[in-house]
Amino acid sequence: MNEFTILVHLLSKKANGFEIGATKEEIIKKLSLQGKNESVYFQNLIVQLSNYLEPLGLQIRFNPLSSRWYMAFEMVTSDLIYANPFEGKPRLAATLFCVLICCLKNSGIGKIHDIKKLRKKKTVIDDLKELRNRGYIEVNDELGQVRLTPLIGYQLDLNKLFIKLTLKLTQQEK
Amino acid sequence: MEETKDLSEEINKKIEAIQLKVLSGEISLLDLDLVPIFENIKDSLNIGNINNYSMVFKNGFQLLVQKFEELKILINNLDKKDSFFQYLRSNPDDSEVYRLFDDCWIKPYSIESLSLNFLNYSNEKLSKERGSPVTIDHVDKIIKKQNFLLEVPELKFTEKIMNFFNNIKNKFPCSFNEIFENEQDQIKIYEKFVYVLHLLQLGKIKYQKETKFLYI
Repeated sequence: MNEFTILVHLLSKKANGFEIGATKEEIIKKLSLQGKNESVYFQNLIVQLSNYLEPLGLQIRFNPLSSRWYMAFEMVTSDLIYANPFEGKPRLAATLFCVLICCLKNSGIGKIHDIKKLRKKKTVIDDLKELRNRGYIEVNDELGQVRLTPLIGYQLDLNKLFIKLTLKLTQQEK
Repeated sequence: MEETKDLSEEINKKIEAIQLKVLSGEISLLDLDLVPIFENIKDSLNIGNINNYSMVFKNGFQLLVQKFEELKILINNLDKKDSFFQYLRSNPDDSEVYRLFDDCWIKPYSIESLSLNFLNYSNEKLSKERGSPVTIDHVDKIIKKQNFLLEVPELKFTEKIMNFFNNIKNKFPCSFNEIFENEQDQIKIYEKFVYVLHLLQLGKIKYQKETKFLYI
């Protein structure tokens, strides 16, 4: 057994519910990395394992919503195996996008009132219920708030999405 | 010394073409991969042509600096969460938002049965030393002047069985030993034993376990 064996296990295991992979602290603890260079060693391991996995069509990713490192199929493969969970449901995807932006603006918590106002659709509450059933959001009816679960962070490259949106808006400004 | 082709002029032309396209707004440097250009420089550079490459380096790095500038602007824009909010206020179409998600989906890799024990076992199996690979020796071709004829047996298998049956049928009822008593050659005994088995299967002869006798 070597570090990679343990890493592959940690990065591909389901932690709980919708959580996959492991945090940096968990990995450091499991691998018994010690000393002031532990972060550098950790980074090297991740990079090296990533190089090993690349020919297999896999990659190591970081979920910013749960701070967990996990293994995923690379983008091209993901496209081939239809990774889009909202295939044929643009309305639901648009509502999720709206929740994302509202949560981003308000430090992780979105107000249902704001989402309704922005979406201007009668089906918003139904959409939110479906998103909750699919595990993407938590809804607090009493406070009228929604919060994202880490699930979307595993299934969507948020950085890429925001870059795409920024580029789109920049081009529109021009 | 290994001689490498001087590609300085070619690379320079490529860089100039990119700069023109960027200036005309045809492409954005953020969408362009500069690594192949620097790989090209690295692979074709040697002591003999280093003088020709100084300008290529300068122009290449100018592109890189420009790209960093564009990236800086992009990162600054990324921080403006309000602009995203404004975008939503403009009431974009569902399909437009849906298209934004294109190429952003990820399929996580998670296998429930992938335990540490399994990985360890696979690791041991993979790293096991393997014997030298099997080599295949090619057979030399022999050119024969005569025509090659495939030897066909004179009799069909069923005919052989029936001939054998006709020869022994007068012996029944008898034991196995009696059938092969006059035969000395082991191969012949084996051949005839096969015939007996076939005859048993066909029901031409029968075998009684209690007496260990064959009969018709």
